[in-house]
Amino acid sequence: MSLTEIMSNAGLSRYAEIALLLFFFAFVVIVWRIYRPGRRAWLERQARLPLDDDQGTPPRSHTG
Amino acid sequence: MSDYGSPGAAASGVRLDSFSYDDAIVRKFLWATVIWGIVGFLMGLIVAIQMAAPSFNLAPWFAFGRLRPLHTNAVIFAFAGNAIFTGVYYSTQRLLKARMFSDTLSTLHFWGWQAIIVSAALTLPFGFTQAKEYAELEWPIDIAIAIVWVIFAVNVIGTLVRRRERHIYVAIWFFLASIVTVAILHIFNNLSIPAGPLKSYSIYAGVQDAFMQWWYGHNAVAFFLTTPFLGLMYYFMPKAAEGPVFSYRLSIVHFWTLVFMYIWAGPHHLHYTALPEWASTLGMLFSVMLWAPSWGGMINGLLTLRGAWHKVVDDPVLKFMVVAITGYGMATFEGPMLSVKSVNALAHYTDWIVAHVHTGALSWNGFLTFGMIYWLAPRLFQTPLFSKKLAEAHFWVASFGIILYVVAIYSAGVTQGLMWRAFDETGRLAYPDFVETVARLVPMYWVRVAGGSLYITGAILFAYNIFRTWRARPAAYAVPVIQAAPLPKKVVAAPAPAPVPAGAWARFTSLGWHRKWEGLPITFTVLTTVAVIVASLFEIIPTFLIKSNVPTIAAVKPFTPLELAGRDLYIREGCFNCHSQMIRPFRYETERYGDYSKPGESVYEHPFLWGSRRIGPDLAREGGKYPDLWHVRHFQNPRAISPKSIMPAYGHLMTAELDFEGIQSRVDAMAMLGVPYGEAVSNAPSMARAQALTIANSIAAGGGDSGLETREIVAMIAYMQRLGRDTRQGVLGANAERHRPDSAGTGGVATAGSAR
Repeated sequence: MSLTEIMSNAGLSRYAEIALLLFFFAFVVIVWRIYRPGRRAWLERQARLPLDDDQGTPPRSHTG
Repeated sequence: MSDYGSPGAAASGVRLDSFSYDDAIVRKFLWATVIWGIVGFLMGLIVAIQMAAPSFNLAPWFAFGRLRPLHTNAVIFAFAGNAIFTGVYYSTQRLLKARMFSDTLSTLHFWGWQAIIVSAALTLPFGFTQAKEYAELEWPIDIAIAIVWVIFAVNVIGTLVRRRERHIYVAIWFFLASIVTVAILHIFNNLSIPAGPLKSYSIYAGVQDAFMQWWYGHNAVAFFLTTPFLGLMYYFMPKAAEGPVFSYRLSIVHFWTLVFMYIWAGPHHLHYTALPEWASTLGMLFSVMLWAPSWGGMINGLLTLRGAWHKVVDDPVLKFMVVAITGYGMATFEGPMLSVKSVNALAHYTDWIVAHVHTGALSWNGFLTFGMIYWLAPRLFQTPLFSKKLAEAHFWVASFGIILYVVAIYSAGVTQGLMWRAFDETGRLAYPDFVETVARLVPMYWVRVAGGSLYITGAILFAYNIFRTWRARPAAYAVPVIQAAPLPKKVVAAPAPAPVPAGAWARFTSLGWHRKWEGLPITFTVLTTVAVIVASLFEIIPTFLIKSNVPTIAAVKPFTPLELAGRDLYIREGCFNCHSQMIRPFRYETERYGDYSKPGESVYEHPFLWGSRRIGPDLAREGGKYPDLWHVRHFQNPRAISPKSIMPAYGHLMTAELDFEGIQSRVDAMAMLGVPYGEAVSNAPSMARAQALTIANSIAAGGGDSGLETREIVAMIAYMQRLGRDTRQGVLGANAERHRPDSAGTGGVATAGSAR
C-alpha cells in the first residue's frame, strides 16, 4: 500500500477545520498576552536587549 | 539592561561567568558572503546578457538553461545564506550572552556549507538537476545540506540552552522558526528515488509534486529570504539607529502571524493550473492576509528610526537599511497583489514575476546584507571602515541599478502579458507568433543588463571597501572578556510578581505558562515546529486525498524508455526554465497552444515540469506539431527557423551519444514509484534503440542527416513529439496552427511525428 493510499484512507477530512480553529485560538491568546495591561515595562526592557549586549571587561590581547 | 545576567549582578555577590564571543566564525561567514555575492551577481549578469544576446550561450555548460539555476542558487543559498549565518552567529552570541555551543560545529557548518556551494557550482552547469526551482541540487548534495543544517541547528539550540539571558529576544525567534521550517521544507520536497549517482526522480508526481514544490518554493522565500532577514532587521536596525525597536509588541505579533500564515500561501504560484480550485483560493486568501503582518513589520522597522532620521543623511549603514526595509514593504505589497487571481492571470509566466523577485532580492536581501556588513566590518576587523564615501557611492550606484532593472523588467512583464492575450478585430490572436512577444522585450533586457552591471559595480566597490578595512586590521584581534551571571536552573519570577491566581482556569489565563515557554528554547522550538507542520499538513494532506479525485485519463500512458531518456535531457538542459507545460483555461491560451491542461495528464510526471516562466512558448501540446526534421534543424540553430528567437542552440545533441544502457536504471526507478512500465522493466535499452532507429530513419528520409539513431537528438525529439499526444482530440487551436511559423523549408504542416 502506498503512502498516498494510506493518507487517502486515513479519514482526515475534518482535520482542516480543527487545525484552523486551533491556529485561531493560539493567535488570539498570543495577541491578548502581548497587549494585556501591565506588560509594557517588561516588554520595553526586552526591546533594549540588542543595545545592551556588548558589555564586558576591557579587552585582553589574543590572536583571533 | 536585562533581568538576568547583568554585569551589575557582581555587585550583589552573584557568581559571574567569564567568556568571549567567537567572532572568528563571523568573520569567515562575512568573507563568504562578500565573495559569493560577487559570484552570484555575476552569474545573474551573464544570464541577463544571454537573454538579450543568445550568441552569448557559449557552450552547453554555459547556456541559459544550466546557468540560471546556478545564479538563483548562488544568490539565495551562497550569498543570502552566508549573510544569514554572519548575522546569526554575531547576534545570537550577544543576545544570549553565551559563546556558540561548539566551535567545532561552527567550523563544520562553515566549511560544510561552502562545500555544498562548490558542489552546486560543479554540478548545475553540467546538467545535474532535479528540475525543481530552488531545489535543483541532486540527492547526494541534498543529504549533505540536511546534515550541515542539523549541525547549524544543534549549534544554535545548544547555545540557547547554555545562555545567560533569560528572555529570548524576538530576532532569535525568527532564526529558530527559519531553522526548523527550512529543515522540514528541504526534507519533504527533496524526497526522491535515486536512479544513479547524480540522478533521481521525485517521489511525487504531477499535481502532488507541483503542490509540494510550491509549498517549498514559496516558503523557501518566506523562511530563507524573509524571516531570517527580519531577525537580522530586528537586531541590526536598533544597533545602527542606536535605539530600541519601535514596538516590541508589534515584533512579537509580526513573528506569530508570519509563522501562522506564510506556510499556507504557496498555491498562489499555481493559479489556473491543474491544481484544484480550493487549494488555489486558499493560497490566495492567506497571501492577501499576509499584507497586514508584513506591513506591520516594515513600519516597525522604519519607525525604529523615530527621532533619528537625521542620521540617515550621514550614515550609509542606515541608508542601506532604510531602502532594504522599504524594499521589503514594496515586495510584500506586491506579493499579495500578485496572488489575486485576476492579477495573476496577467502576470504569471511573465517577467513581472522576475521583477517582483528582484525588487525583494536586490533591495531587501541585498541592501540589508550590505548595511549589516558595513556596520559589522569595523567591529569585527577592529578598525574604522576604509571609506565612508565609497560606501555612499555603492549605495547610489546600486540604487540606480535597481531602478533600471525593475523598471525595465516590470515593463517587459506587462508588455508580454498583454501581447499574449491580445486579439485583433477579427477575433484572432494579435500576436500569434510567440517570438514576436519575445523580440519586443529585447531592448528592455538590455536595460536590465545595464541595471545589473551597476548593481555589480556597487558590489565590487563594497568588496574593495571591506577588503581595505580588513587590510587595516590590528596584528592581533582584541577579544573582549564578557562577564555575566549564569541563569538559575529554575525560572525566577520577575520583580514585583503578580499574585498567583487561584484555580486552574485562572492560572491558565494568567499566561505564566506561556512566559515559561519563552524561557525554554527546546519547547519553544518544538511548538514552532508543530505550528509549521500543522499548517503544512492542512494543505498537503488534501492534495494526497484528491488523488482519487484526479480524473484518470485512460489514454495517458507512461513515457516510452526513449521518451523518458529525452525527458531527462530536457531536464538536463534546463528547458523548463524557459518553457511551461501547463496551458491555462483562457481562450488566448487555448487558441495559441491547444486544449487546456488536465490534472490527469501528469500522473506519471516525476517530477512535474509545468514551469513558471515562458521565455519560449508552452510545450504541453507540442507533440506532432512539426516533423522530426523541423526539430533537428531547430535544435541545431533556432535562428535558422525563427530569426528572432533567443533560444540557445543545442547542436551538441547531434553529436553526443545517448547512453542507452543507462535508461534501464531510470525506468526501474520510475517503476519503483508506481509507474506501470510493463515489459520495459526488463527491456528498456532495446525498446529505446528500436524507437530511436524509427526516428532516425524519419529524419534521414526527410533529407536530414543520417546515422542519428545513437545520438541524444533522437531521444529529445521522441519526447517533444510525445508531449500532449495522449489526450489530443485532433482539434488544436485552429488559430495557433494557422499562424504557427512554418519550418522554413524543413517540412510543411505538422504531420505525425515519430513513430511510437
